Amino acid sequence: MMRLLQYQGIPLWRNVVFLQFTLQIVSAVLVLSFLAFFFTNLLREIDQREIPFGFSFLDRSTGIPIGETLIRYSTEDSFRYTLFVAFLNTVKVAFIGVVFATIVGIIVGVARLSPNWLLNRLALVYIDVFRNIPLLVQLLFWFFIVLALPPIREAYVIGDAFFLSNSGFAMPWVTPQGSFWPWVLVCALGLGTAFYTARVMERRETESGRASHSLLAFLVIALGVGTAAFFAFGGPLDVTMPERGAFGRLSGGTQVSGSFLALLIGLVVYTSSFIAEIVRAGIQSVSKGQTEAARSTGLNGTASLRFVIFPQALRVIIPPTISHYLNLTKNSSLAAAIGYPDMVSVATTLTQTAPAVSLIGIVMVSYLGLSLFYALIGNVYNRLIRYKAL
Amino acid sequence: MSTTTTERFGPAPPPPPAFTVGWQGWPRMNLFNSWSSGILTIVLGVALFLAALGGVRWLIFSSDWAVITDRVPLYIVGTYPREYYWRPEIALLLVSGLMGMAWRTWGGPARGFAAAFGALVFVVALIPYQMDVLYRALLLAVPAAMAGGYYCAHFIPEQGRAKWFGITGAGVLIVSLLVIAGFSLPGVGSPAGLHPVTESEVGGLMLNLLLAAFGIIASLPIGIALALGRRSRLPVLKFACVAFIETIRGVPLITLLFMSRHILPLTFPENIDVSLLYLSGITITIFSSAYMAENVRGGMAAVSPQQSQAAQALGLKQWQTTLFVTLPQGLRNIIPAIVGQFISLFKDTSLVFIIGMLDLVEIGRAGLSGKIEYSDNGMEVYLFLALVFWVFTFSMAYVSRRIERTLGVGRR
Repeated sequence: MMRLLQYQGIPLWRNVVFLQFTLQIVSAVLVLSFLAFFFTNLLREIDQREIPFGFSFLDRSTGIPIGETLIRYSTEDSFRYTLFVAFLNTVKVAFIGVVFATIVGIIVGVARLSPNWLLNRLALVYIDVFRNIPLLVQLLFWFFIVLALPPIREAYVIGDAFFLSNSGFAMPWVTPQGSFWPWVLVCALGLGTAFYTARVMERRETESGRASHSLLAFLVIALGVGTAAFFAFGGPLDVTMPERGAFGRLSGGTQVSGSFLALLIGLVVYTSSFIAEIVRAGIQSVSKGQTEAARSTGLNGTASLRFVIFPQALRVIIPPTISHYLNLTKNSSLAAAIGYPDMVSVATTLTQTAPAVSLIGIVMVSYLGLSLFYALIGNVYNRLIRYKAL
Repeated sequence: MSTTTTERFGPAPPPPPAFTVGWQGWPRMNLFNSWSSGILTIVLGVALFLAALGGVRWLIFSSDWAVITDRVPLYIVGTYPREYYWRPEIALLLVSGLMGMAWRTWGGPARGFAAAFGALVFVVALIPYQMDVLYRALLLAVPAAMAGGYYCAHFIPEQGRAKWFGITGAGVLIVSLLVIAGFSLPGVGSPAGLHPVTESEVGGLMLNLLLAAFGIIASLPIGIALALGRRSRLPVLKFACVAFIETIRGVPLITLLFMSRHILPLTFPENIDVSLLYLSGITITIFSSAYMAENVRGGMAAVSPQQSQAAQALGLKQWQTTLFVTLPQGLRNIIPAIVGQFISLFKDTSLVFIIGMLDLVEIGRAGLSGKIEYSDNGMEVYLFLALVFWVFTFSMAYVSRRIERTLGVGRR
């Protein structure tokens, strides 16, 4: 070490090795003392004020009812299970929200580029309005609207299957029967065959130049196998319709609460306004020459979009979109304001009978897990689309 | 000079076909350019007309704005004690004075922004509805302060004007925060012996603006520091910054605010009681600076490495290279992202409801449940809240677009 320091007689205060080394030590000491300062204070306060801490409460039963759950739940269940139920509620609204936000975002983003002036301006207004208003205000607004809907007895009904009222939305749903999983397996096989056939036909089309209907073949095989298997297995899915019972209450089908509806609408509208801007920017980032070149090689409008423009635009669109998926998931924590039992909302209720610090700690770690999941998807995608060296 | 266009480029091109220009041509090219487009225009037009009709009918016949006009001060300053109204007024006048100065010295976007703000306050002050004369006077002082600032701008030294503005602006905002809150700072006591106002009395739009101003001033430098730390070659520092940034970015702000109420006070030394106002301000700042750090990192990654190589060849030291060469270019790359972050910070100030603070949104909500005759007026309240937030965020976005154009980003 000393020999290294005296290298070529450079004075100590100019020696890069020495400086780097000192800076490392100094930064490490600073970071550690910063943490130590906070933690000693924290531990002392926890000790002095006898603030409850720890995770021994997890196996106790909560005794708190939850309005809507994906899996069965009762008030005797443990804190651990209750938090898991709430986590599933967060995942549910995030998943449905992501799907709808993507669809609406793409529609608005493409509308923003429409040659039709009216449509174009409407999309612009949509983006500029919903992007710039706090999500909380939007959620409260939608919740107010949902609560102003007619009561369940006078619900809006479409074809005796879809019910919309101030207590939520109900629609027909399917329940899997005994033969469900074998059917799914056959469907997956059919899908694989259809995909493979379509790829082979496309390759032959590229080589021979003669048109083939690969998409049509794909649909026919996939749907044909699925439907045939459905009847062969004697109905692996049972469709139930929502039906009116006593006091107009609904049973059967699937039902979501008014607060879920408001949360979903708010999240979808808010996030789709961001995604729309990304989609617009992504499509505009593909140079106009690409469209013109595609058209001049004889591809029609749809084909040039599908084979030339979108593959290039997607590289620009997908990474920021994934980060907005994460934002949507985190924003779903605003459910606490309108009473949808998501993770944050349930955890804040549970703090009445368990240490707040531990509960919110668990919630934060769950969100970190979700954000790692999104980061993983993003990284995998980035690896897939990297330009291969020619 | 004597050569005309015709001589240089041959005969002038024929004029565009008559059916594509003018008042007849425009709709044809933009609304009815194809069959499907025409049908779409008609459908959208009818839907828009019906929506507008319903909106106007609601506005004239069934809307009732008493829920807002009955308590304008509550929406603006929350339950701030009336005898201390002069304190936020001082802050407001200081900021208006600065705007007036910026109007004269910078012009451009600053002028547009100041003019819009002054006009808005002027109109609000003169709206014919039941309002205390005192409030009208307090509001009318804003354009006056602006004019004063405009006059005083004459004395600002020509050199180092940006630095002067930066320091004065930050100073004014910090002074405003202290004057309004009058909170005892840990170890310092109440500033200038001001009577402290309790944290639950600071509310309304004032609270949103205070938190946003505090966050905007503090989160940019902290974010830059974090970004530089993440780019650093010192592993400990780098790891600490990465861990901090990724943890903060991975969780919702609402849980951080919750923690700030239950945990953050415990991490301070003994006998130091920090007000909820500061705690929420610190939390929002920390949250925003983690995102800011990622923006800054992106901007600096886009600066070509030749820039720092050239700087080193000129003999600049490492810190000089960063401070004078790469950082300014990196920041210029990301002006829209920075302003976007400021906008979302402003929107996020509405989340302090989770720790029981009465910001503008929470006042609106409390107003609805406060009196039974107001409980049906949700539409009015939420539209009002949306409009107030939208005016601020949209004008920020507008100023950002103007600054970007002035700095010539994207066209060189």
